[in-house]
Amino acid sequence: MENTQTQQRVSSAKVSKMSEKKKDMISGYLYVAPFFIVFGIIGLYPAIFSIVLAFQKWNGLGEMDYVGFSNFAIVLQDPLFWKSLYNTVIIGLMGTAPQLIVGIILAYFLNMAVIRFTNFFRVTIFMPYITSMVAVALVFGVFFSTNESALANYVIGWFGIDPISWKTSEWGAKIAISLMVFWRWVGYNTIIYLAGLQSIPKDLYEAATIDGANKVQQFLHITIPLLKPFIILTVFMSTVGALQLFAEPTVFLGASAFNRDEAMTVVMYLYRDAFNLGSFGTASATAVLLLIIIIAAAALNTWLTSGVGNKKKRGVK
Amino acid sequence: MKQNNKKTSRSGTLPVYIVLTLASILSLFPFYWMFVMATQPSAAYNSIPPTLLPGGMLIENFQKVLDTIPFFQAMWNTVLLCTTVTVAVLIISSLSGFAFAKFHFPGKNFLFICILLTMVIPPQLGLIPQYYLISQLGWLDTLLGAGVLFLLNPLGIFLMRQYISQSVPDELMEAAKLDGCSNFRIYRSIVLPIIKPAFATLGIIVFTLVWGEFLWQFTVLRDPSSYTLQVALASLNNAFRVDFGMLLSGVFWATVPLIVIFLIFNKWFISSITEGSIK
Amino acid sequence: MKFKKSLLMVLLLSFSAILFACSEDNKSASSEEKVSLDFWVFGATNYESLAEEYEKENPDVEINIKTSELGDHHNSLFTAISAGTGAPDLAMIEVDQLDRYREAQDRFVNLYDLGAEDIKDQYLDWKWNGAENGEGDFLFGLPTDIGPKAMYYHTDVFEEAGLPTDPDKVSELISTSEAFADAAGKILDATDKPMVDSMEMAFRANMDALQVSYFNRDDELLLSESDNGVKEAYDYAVELDLQGYVGSFEMWTPEWANALNKGGFGVEMAPAWLKGYMTENAPEGAGKWRVTTLPTQFAGNWGGSYIAIPSETEYSEEAYEFSKWLLSPENQLESFVDSGLFPSAPEVYEMEEFKNNSDEYFGGQNTAKYFAEAAKQIPEVYKGPKYVTVNNEILTALRNVQEGGDPEKEWEDAVTRIEGLLKK
Repeated sequence: MENTQTQQRVSSAKVSKMSEKKKDMISGYLYVAPFFIVFGIIGLYPAIFSIVLAFQKWNGLGEMDYVGFSNFAIVLQDPLFWKSLYNTVIIGLMGTAPQLIVGIILAYFLNMAVIRFTNFFRVTIFMPYITSMVAVALVFGVFFSTNESALANYVIGWFGIDPISWKTSEWGAKIAISLMVFWRWVGYNTIIYLAGLQSIPKDLYEAATIDGANKVQQFLHITIPLLKPFIILTVFMSTVGALQLFAEPTVFLGASAFNRDEAMTVVMYLYRDAFNLGSFGTASATAVLLLIIIIAAAALNTWLTSGVGNKKKRGVK
Repeated sequence: MKQNNKKTSRSGTLPVYIVLTLASILSLFPFYWMFVMATQPSAAYNSIPPTLLPGGMLIENFQKVLDTIPFFQAMWNTVLLCTTVTVAVLIISSLSGFAFAKFHFPGKNFLFICILLTMVIPPQLGLIPQYYLISQLGWLDTLLGAGVLFLLNPLGIFLMRQYISQSVPDELMEAAKLDGCSNFRIYRSIVLPIIKPAFATLGIIVFTLVWGEFLWQFTVLRDPSSYTLQVALASLNNAFRVDFGMLLSGVFWATVPLIVIFLIFNKWFISSITEGSIK
Repeated sequence: MKFKKSLLMVLLLSFSAILFACSEDNKSASSEEKVSLDFWVFGATNYESLAEEYEKENPDVEINIKTSELGDHHNSLFTAISAGTGAPDLAMIEVDQLDRYREAQDRFVNLYDLGAEDIKDQYLDWKWNGAENGEGDFLFGLPTDIGPKAMYYHTDVFEEAGLPTDPDKVSELISTSEAFADAAGKILDATDKPMVDSMEMAFRANMDALQVSYFNRDDELLLSESDNGVKEAYDYAVELDLQGYVGSFEMWTPEWANALNKGGFGVEMAPAWLKGYMTENAPEGAGKWRVTTLPTQFAGNWGGSYIAIPSETEYSEEAYEFSKWLLSPENQLESFVDSGLFPSAPEVYEMEEFKNNSDEYFGGQNTAKYFAEAAKQIPEVYKGPKYVTVNNEILTALRNVQEGGDPEKEWEDAVTRIEGLLKK
């Protein structure tokens, strides 16, 4: 009985050797199809529409006029565009780079077998991502109040720093918003790293312990290299997210968000063009420019990260 | 679960506890404050210095919310929307992630890059064409219209690809194939059990994302009976005559179910990969 | 056979999605006979209860109201009108938002075609004309509420400065912009508090009263014209600030609300809609605030709306009939009493209930009377579609001045920025 089964298996494996590859191919296409079907329905048209719009003058209601590259010229000559790009990059660096480092550390702690109450900590550290923006805006608004007795000013007073007007000064606004971005997304990245840590087979650590590697060595030589695909993922996503920053500054600044330039980001700049100025052409041109910047930045960052801790080439193929 | 760390002394863990506790306090504080505001009269919102202790209006504020908006219906709609979207995203992502991780087919890398590129389009600008599409498809006021946008989740595919390529051993797949398993059978009986923790991670991220999103849902859902929580809550926020106590009570009670759901999913995190792969 | 299963899976997925959509959709079939009107409103109105009343009187009409916050409301309306699909049968449009639709006249029903000429006399002229096109042969909407500005003043602050606290005496004393500045001086000396809460309000004092501001009807920028009033309004605000009469309480911030609550500044120049906010969010100010008329040269309008009918509707007649009923003087009185929407039909000002209206919060004063007086003095204004954005640049300049910027340089920078904006 057992014998015949093995025989069958061997023979069928031989016969279908060629078609097995083909079947895998078809399965591959079939399994990625759902995403592309949905994208074809809902994603493709807006993307093309935005690119076409970048070459038109359109206020959202009347006729479109083809204007060639003049929208790009207007945007590139606008000092506010460059200011918003500068703001975006600065807030991105201050708000997201520390996030990734802290995220890895927290995830590593949460994944340690000796630590108890990890359930509790996992929930609380993920809480900022769940907490509604209304509440976040409220808390950060009070903490970084323009009022001289505001909590943030009280804290910096310990270090002998004079009160800062957090919503209207060049660096005050950037620092406050960066902290908000950091606070809101660090738990999110922690959870992704945690998923990464859990995909690392435990026996690797056991082997390392037997070989006499200490905790720090294990972290540097096992955890970081094996976590690298996830690090690359979060770096990529944080780069994209940072360059598309919109919600935190608009909520933090409230009514004056679109009137001031200390913390205006590129997406706020294009949103203002489209919905406040009725200039969808320049808004779309800005979006196209942003697209190019994001692709460049994401590629650069991903490339840089791929180089970090390159022990064994095991990352993204 | 084999615990290699057990041998290390407990004393070394104290700094870890301190860091985690500090992180928890900082993370929880705004949520706590939201609860405080939900128990206070509206004017407490503006008080300087801020109010830090709960007041006695917990029930009263929530009663006002219930009188103003169809809270529970909106919650039901939200649960329905989030569950459907989450399940769909998990299926789409794990299938694609499986394909990208374990199959070879021409154009694979190109398609993968295409998926990542869909992330970089700023969502604010796509609003008008997307709205136009949805209305042409007749999906305004439907949960399908409100949810379809979220099915595009490049993060999910990336996460699943990574997880599957690291935690599903090729040998296991080969063996299954020799046994005559179809690729779908492998997906269902080998891949799915192994990637449970990744499902929990992605699931909670997607669920939360949809739960908290406002702009798109607001644009698509116009009929009050189809409102989701965020859309319904928005009508409490009226600058000329806003009652902050009521508003934050609404926001607070709209967040509580999420926490409950998180706690339920949380159990899945614990099941480590060893349980899945080595039976 | 192996892929058949996976194909089935994909099919199943798309099927369940479609099923899901259909199950949501079958409620519209029930009301075959009835005319169903979608009506989008923003802010606090009593239109829900009035609509119920209308439904009772007209059993064949059903009205679905969607209420949202001001910004969200106008964004989703713009999206629908822009996409040309999914707009409601009736929509409330705030006065500053109306101008952006002027170029897209064809997206709305001309109410003059439905006989709106007949009810024109019921409403204030300036308000009515604000919804007409340049030629005066197209009407976008019927007037809902208006926002005539009056002066809210804190009696404790006034008393401490040795100023009168009786509304009529206050308006008698502060009847010109110079007198306003004089009073501000006394308040600063005696109480160390600013007269005006913010630069925006100091600027608005004259701005809201301007018949011509940034643009003419052809949307040409007028800032470089010699007789343009914007610079004067700017200079007045700068002057007040120089003297220390202007605080830095930006509207709607907690600091501002706190100052309202505690009497952190002397006066707030605002329309009647502020009352609702104060009652709810500045409880300690109860009995301390009073309302009186502003100096004539500050008389202006701030806010208020129209109800328009997008041309997509199948029921323009029914929609018009309903809005005509909703905005009749009698119902405007009800909206005023219930929700504080200030009537645009002057007839209401003579009604007993309006005259006898008293505000608990304002120490039993009949504040409505002062707003009604102001309503009659308001000039007809044209703002133009880019008013708000252009205005924001000037406000930025003013805030910079307050933080120590040079007034002339800030002005010139703002004008440069505005010229850049208008190229878009």
